Amino acid sequence: MTPAVRERLQVRAPLLLISAAAWTLLVVEPGGMTMPVYCSAAPGAMPPASLDLLLALNPPASLAAGWALMLAAMMVPLLIAPVRHIRDRSFAQRRIRAIVLFVAMYGAIWMAAGVMLLAFALAVRLVVPGSSVPVALALAAMIALVWQLSPVKQRCLNRCHAQPALAAFGPAADIGALRFGLTHGIWCVGSCWVLMLLPMLVSGGHVAAMAAVALWLFAERLDSPMPPRWRFRVPGKAVRIAIAQAQMPLHQFTRPQAAK
Amino acid sequence: MQYTRGNVWELGGDWADPILWYARGVAAMKARKLAEPTSWRFYGAIHGIDPGLWQQLGYLSLSDPMPSNADVQRFWKQCQHGSWYFLPWHRGYVLAFEANIRAIVTKLGGPADWALPYWNYFKPNQYPLPPAFASPNWPDGQGDNPLFVQQRYGPQSDGNVYVPVDQINLDAMTDPDFTGVASGGSPGFGGVDTGFEHGGPVHGGIESQPHDNVHGLVGGGDPDNPQLPGLMSDPDTAGLDPIFWLHHANIDRLWEVWQQNPPANVDPTDPNWINGPGNIGERVFSMPMPNGNPWDYIPGDMADLGKLDYTYDDLSPAAPAQPGQRLLQFGASPEVVKAIQGAGAVPSGKNVELMGANQGSLRISGGEAGTSVQLDTGVRRKVTASFAAAAEATEPDRVFLNLENVRGLADSTAFQVYVGLPQGANPADHPELRAGSVALFGVRKASLTDDEHAGKGLTFVLEITKIVDALHLGNAFDVGALDVRIVPVRPVPENAQITIGRVSIFRQGR
Repeated sequence: MTPAVRERLQVRAPLLLISAAAWTLLVVEPGGMTMPVYCSAAPGAMPPASLDLLLALNPPASLAAGWALMLAAMMVPLLIAPVRHIRDRSFAQRRIRAIVLFVAMYGAIWMAAGVMLLAFALAVRLVVPGSSVPVALALAAMIALVWQLSPVKQRCLNRCHAQPALAAFGPAADIGALRFGLTHGIWCVGSCWVLMLLPMLVSGGHVAAMAAVALWLFAERLDSPMPPRWRFRVPGKAVRIAIAQAQMPLHQFTRPQAAK
Repeated sequence: MQYTRGNVWELGGDWADPILWYARGVAAMKARKLAEPTSWRFYGAIHGIDPGLWQQLGYLSLSDPMPSNADVQRFWKQCQHGSWYFLPWHRGYVLAFEANIRAIVTKLGGPADWALPYWNYFKPNQYPLPPAFASPNWPDGQGDNPLFVQQRYGPQSDGNVYVPVDQINLDAMTDPDFTGVASGGSPGFGGVDTGFEHGGPVHGGIESQPHDNVHGLVGGGDPDNPQLPGLMSDPDTAGLDPIFWLHHANIDRLWEVWQQNPPANVDPTDPNWINGPGNIGERVFSMPMPNGNPWDYIPGDMADLGKLDYTYDDLSPAAPAQPGQRLLQFGASPEVVKAIQGAGAVPSGKNVELMGANQGSLRISGGEAGTSVQLDTGVRRKVTASFAAAAEATEPDRVFLNLENVRGLADSTAFQVYVGLPQGANPADHPELRAGSVALFGVRKASLTDDEHAGKGLTFVLEITKIVDALHLGNAFDVGALDVRIVPVRPVPENAQITIGRVSIFRQGR
């Protein structure tokens, strides 16, 4: 194992464990506190009669807890690179503190974004008849597609790879970690918001939809930043790695002839 | 057939046969169109290409037919920098280029065993640019010498091209670890474990020194427009300069010299290095060969130069490692040191941690700039304790200065870095306090927010173990801060916008 791999593991392993624990909770309790009622409404069901009823069925605390769990499951694996940057560039005794501050601010941005995304999802449930929810989903999917193709999406994605210089001492270090969490959170929301909306609009297979989106978000983060423009963007590196891994046992690299 | 690469300064004349044949080969490659994979410019683009910069420098016009998309995707923008693939990728690149030149040489009736010369600027009096590259004329006086490049400006950007030997060193040759880390400690002799990396932020030891520095010092910048680099100064244009290949032959030679010191110095045995990025689904290293076919290779094929039927006329050790010398100065007994010397160099410790940092970013503009790196007392004491333990033959900590997130627009920028220089002291009077020289090879590209580096810039790692050792032995290391002074090789123009995000110091120990 190379030194770099060892260092990568020190960050990757705990973050993936946290994510796995969150996924386990989501899978074990898909109908419990982790899954708001709006998510589990059957296709064709009548929409709730009023906002009051909807909120009664989906208390804000429960919504927030569910959203936070969803973030832990889906977003924590995306934090491997920035957390590694903070770990590497902070004093050993400040590493945990700096990472906690970064994650707290990053999480706060996503919780704030969650208010808007959840409000939108609830509004869809309130105003769109149950039989038309798939139409709303299709509309959201179209918006997502346009967003995914757009240069703005690429711009956000590029900035998710930023690794700024961090202050090392005292309050400046704390502020630096918070600021990094803030900017990383904003660009991450910009990159992911519309894809995060999709699982909330599906009427069934909610966890499966979340898993698919999470996998996509993780895969597209593997690609290097590139100049923003309209383009059909697939996470090519992830696909190639997956294919290579699948073929690995049978793979015989074609031995080249030496250049002479 | 066995091929031997010879010293360009010792071939028997300014235009000795191997140089003359090289020039003829270069001329033939330059005559080919960009779209031809074996053309000069195509080979330059394999290293890197920025179409806008190429147009500005006159190497690309809008009327140039472009290669097929498949060729561009397969071959262009391949160079591996800031990666443990730096040495093997460039070995394959030079081999393939050399094979193309040789095909032309033999076609013209030249020797079948022609091999690329190398430029060993370290050897006494061999620091100037070889004369055949400095003259616009062929030896018969005709004025279209293909080895001559207008955009090669030299260390002072005045057209006088040479390598100032006080600004380069072979310190990396004594690093026993091929693979390093990007977390502030040693980046290793060969670089940091990465995937396919067309320009990572942290360069390996031999890549930083002398590789990067020679690039920047030879290339320099256009004195009339400092943002325009000499060809050698920027990775996106470097492969267009014929001297590039002699420089890289020398870097390749240094890898071979480093390998001559087993068991301490060994290439990585990790399958990801041996099989290369293509094996895990990333891009494959691939070069167009004279027969028109691509040649794919992996680092494992490049590790043994002998198996490739190549050698150099001089593989004498550049700077023999002296394991145990540090222990001796810290009080270890000669018997203990002797035992260590028998075992070869001691690999670096695994624990890398921050020891101190400055506050705020540092702008480099005009002449000197300085900052103060505040040290954490606890971590500094760990280093001191490791010195004390050295008497029992425990390898003491190594210490590294990091210039983090260096950003800017001018790759030709180069500066020297001093640690602990007294206020008002003349840097030239204190070579013992020089941490090293830095050339910003690749900084322009690394500073673009919407390019593959996301604007992170480059991070330079300079080993300052010797300076810290001396401070400790002189009872001067018990300090709260260390001053760092940046001394540009030539004035840095304001519009180069050079900034250092943070200056920090790391320890690497057990």
